[in-house]
Amino acid sequence: MIMVPSLGNFSLWLALCFAIFQFVISCKKNNQSTLYLNRIAVNGLLLCAFLSFLSLMYSYLVSDFSVANVFQNSHTTKPLLYKIAAVWGNHEGSMLLWILVLAIFNYFIFKLYNKTNSIFISKTLETQAFVTIGFLLFTLLTSNPFERIIPVPTNGLGFNPILQDPALAIHPPLLYIGYVGFSAAFSFSVSAMSIESIEKVPWYNYMKPFVLAAWAFLTIGIAFGSIWAYYELGWGGWWFWDPVENASLMPWLLGTALIHSLVTVEKKKMLQKWVLLLAILAFLLSVIGTFLVRSGILTSVHTFALDPARGIYILVFIGILGTYSLILFATSTKKNFEKNYVSFLSREGSILINNIIMIVVCSSVFLGTIYPLIIEAFSNNKISVGEPYYNSTVIPIMIPAILVMGVGPLLSWKKIDVKKIFWKTLPSIVLTIIVITIFLWIYQSYNPLGIIGIILSCWIISNIIFTQNNIPKFSKSMVMAHLGIGLLILGITGSSVWQKEKILRMKVNDEIIIHNYNIIFKEIKEVVEKNYIALQGNFWVYNKKNNIITKLHPENRFYPVTNNSTTEASIHTNLLRDLYIVLGDGNQKDGWVVRVYYNPLVVWIWIGAFVIFLGGLFSININLKILKRLSL
Amino acid sequence: MKKKILIFPFITFLFILIVFFYLLVIERDPSELPSVLIDKKIPTFEAESLLNKKKFISKNEFGNETTLVNFFATWCGPCRDEHVYLKRLSNEKGLKIIGVNYKDDSNKTVEWLKELGNPYSDVIVDSKGLIGIDWGVYGIPETYIVNSKGIIKYRLVGSITKKNYNAFYSKIKKSED
Amino acid sequence: MTKTLLTIVIISIMILFFSKISYSVEPEEFLQNPKQEIRARDISKNIRCLVCQNQSIDDSSAPLAKDLRALIRMKVQENNSDEEIYKFLTDRYGDFILLKPPFKINTFLLWSLPFIFLIIGIFILFVHNKKSKKIS
Repeated sequence: MIMVPSLGNFSLWLALCFAIFQFVISCKKNNQSTLYLNRIAVNGLLLCAFLSFLSLMYSYLVSDFSVANVFQNSHTTKPLLYKIAAVWGNHEGSMLLWILVLAIFNYFIFKLYNKTNSIFISKTLETQAFVTIGFLLFTLLTSNPFERIIPVPTNGLGFNPILQDPALAIHPPLLYIGYVGFSAAFSFSVSAMSIESIEKVPWYNYMKPFVLAAWAFLTIGIAFGSIWAYYELGWGGWWFWDPVENASLMPWLLGTALIHSLVTVEKKKMLQKWVLLLAILAFLLSVIGTFLVRSGILTSVHTFALDPARGIYILVFIGILGTYSLILFATSTKKNFEKNYVSFLSREGSILINNIIMIVVCSSVFLGTIYPLIIEAFSNNKISVGEPYYNSTVIPIMIPAILVMGVGPLLSWKKIDVKKIFWKTLPSIVLTIIVITIFLWIYQSYNPLGIIGIILSCWIISNIIFTQNNIPKFSKSMVMAHLGIGLLILGITGSSVWQKEKILRMKVNDEIIIHNYNIIFKEIKEVVEKNYIALQGNFWVYNKKNNIITKLHPENRFYPVTNNSTTEASIHTNLLRDLYIVLGDGNQKDGWVVRVYYNPLVVWIWIGAFVIFLGGLFSININLKILKRLSL
Repeated sequence: MKKKILIFPFITFLFILIVFFYLLVIERDPSELPSVLIDKKIPTFEAESLLNKKKFISKNEFGNETTLVNFFATWCGPCRDEHVYLKRLSNEKGLKIIGVNYKDDSNKTVEWLKELGNPYSDVIVDSKGLIGIDWGVYGIPETYIVNSKGIIKYRLVGSITKKNYNAFYSKIKKSED
Repeated sequence: MTKTLLTIVIISIMILFFSKISYSVEPEEFLQNPKQEIRARDISKNIRCLVCQNQSIDDSSAPLAKDLRALIRMKVQENNSDEEIYKFLTDRYGDFILLKPPFKINTFLLWSLPFIFLIIGIFILFVHNKKSKKIS
């Protein structure tokens, strides 16, 4: 079985051959044999990428330390799940996953082939092949996961324990489906701009399911990353405006804009040029974001690799993709891409507002992420752009978008009757006012951001409730995604505005009161597990009536293999709030530092994200049905 | 006119790409922080001296010759490594080295200096790290070059090594220009 | 008996290991006066931990972060205003220490561009609206 890594390496090179083959044949004039040859190329590429990925996974499973990558990132004592997750938990392995996902999307693009669209799909496959070649070469030349070491070490160096977590194990694959999904949108866009007779091909219908998939998986991927940060980093927060987080948020924002404007193209043939640009930018930003956090340009908590050669390669590659597509965008003059003008008060108007705001927010985040670099490049200064900047730019700009979101789906295409809309939304306005009054009356909390958050959330949700019956069947998925956003805002508002925090030093049997809960520190003990030892606190939580609610066990873990420590927060969740305890430094004599958080409504963030994800999946299903009808 | 706007995304893209490229190509340490005190007067301070019994008053000590201010501690590994180079510099004429003993145990420091030799003309005790904050120190060892007019000309973050010794030495020479 | 003894031994060993865990502000640092403490914490949340990545000193366990927290609390107790404290820190460490960059010439674009984009966006919206009326 010593052959397996070599097999992986070989099939990766073979994948490159298939990708080049696909690129070459797609360039040629179209005929029957192209379809046949393409089938070979697409399937071959998929098979080879899959084989290569499996080989690496096998090497991890059997702990084959002759592979440098396994040696650096694994250890025999590691649990099975994390041996698998370790495959994509490092730069080289994650490249392999990236390529596999590219090949899968490549396959799905090929599946769309039929007689009427052969030129268009062929051109798309050509672009997709080019993108795949670029990443394959990058992996093979600068970050080959199958490099061997001699002599073979007896055990591995281990895997950063802070990353040994189920949420983080699944986070990269989901995120990569998102990023790579935009590669399909990119290829469709390039293809649509370069084909002569594009007006006959409903390219937007082909693009849409891919964008939806990318966006939905990006949503859930970001959510998993956030959940991980929430309980692993131990600050009671779930979003830190870290460059890595921003790198995933930016394509998500563009993806959101793209989905909405695609609907306009589909229904009204408006904003075509705009959609083409968005599709290009979404992919470029995905790649720029992902790889520039890795190049070491931005130092960030999650940085994988600090190798300028990789950075330069990927930058050149991005340069080629960006220059080609954006110049094509600037020069392509097609009649049907000409603008139609959108009226302010209409469905398409509300979508345009959504798009503009998403773009503005995305550029703010982008600006905040790269501005320190620009300052550093052009002067001798250094500045920091942290959470306060994002909060004071992103939040106020986002608010109107959410207001419009509540009413947008009720508007009709073209012109609307303002009075009619007013009567339609009147129940929601009334309900929102009632809810906010009750809320203020009960909780007596007059935080302006909190009030705005509750209003927005209530506005979206009540609009959805009152118009349930008027929504056509195919729009149900959109309503669902919007509902998810409403819940998400509820969670974000609750947890960031009304969070309570207590930090104190506690000895065994000490008590602490936080928001009507009485928490008693019962004991502290050691726990020995296979790959770590831990100090575990035992906290009993009582409510006002002195009934026990739960027992919480926060831990401090020490991983001897990598010589790392982590904190494991212990959390009790219900629909209204999280109780969150972290154990800190301390000793028997003086007690331990304990941080207790009361985080209202956090769980709605995850529920909201999941509902958005489901909405996305349903929408893919609906759009695939539309595609089937098209090909008949 | 309309058509020209369409080139805008490309231009923005190109600009960003060039910035990234430039930052990747130049030799730079993303974690290094430039000092804001360069070309400014030294912060004034008074502190206890470790070796002499009298108080150290910054006004009296700077402004006559080129001075190095070296923040060090016995608990800092790289400080031990750079000690050889500090001793070599202490033989230089017209150059004085003041050590700031950063958040350290005085007895240990005396022992340390006995063991390794003392390149410092004076050692100041900064037990709470407050002098360090005044100078904008964020990680020791750090060495400041102060010229004979009492102006800070350069800061080296990290230890003096074989590799950077010559460059550092020429910075000292240049500080008087 | 031996079990408790073992526990104590293990715990004391582990305390050595755990000395590096990242924690934030510690209860001993808090000021007696709750108003001052809230002010001090709000300020520390806007001050970057220089040796960390993207963390405020309030969230950091780095020794320098701890010193800066103590310094800020001292200044708060001495009734320095927020501006004075921020100025004290930027005079020594530069604007890099502020998580919220100050509005200056070199950050002019950073602060104004989002709103310029927004205005351009609104402008596009109105152009669209006007032209669509003309067409219909």
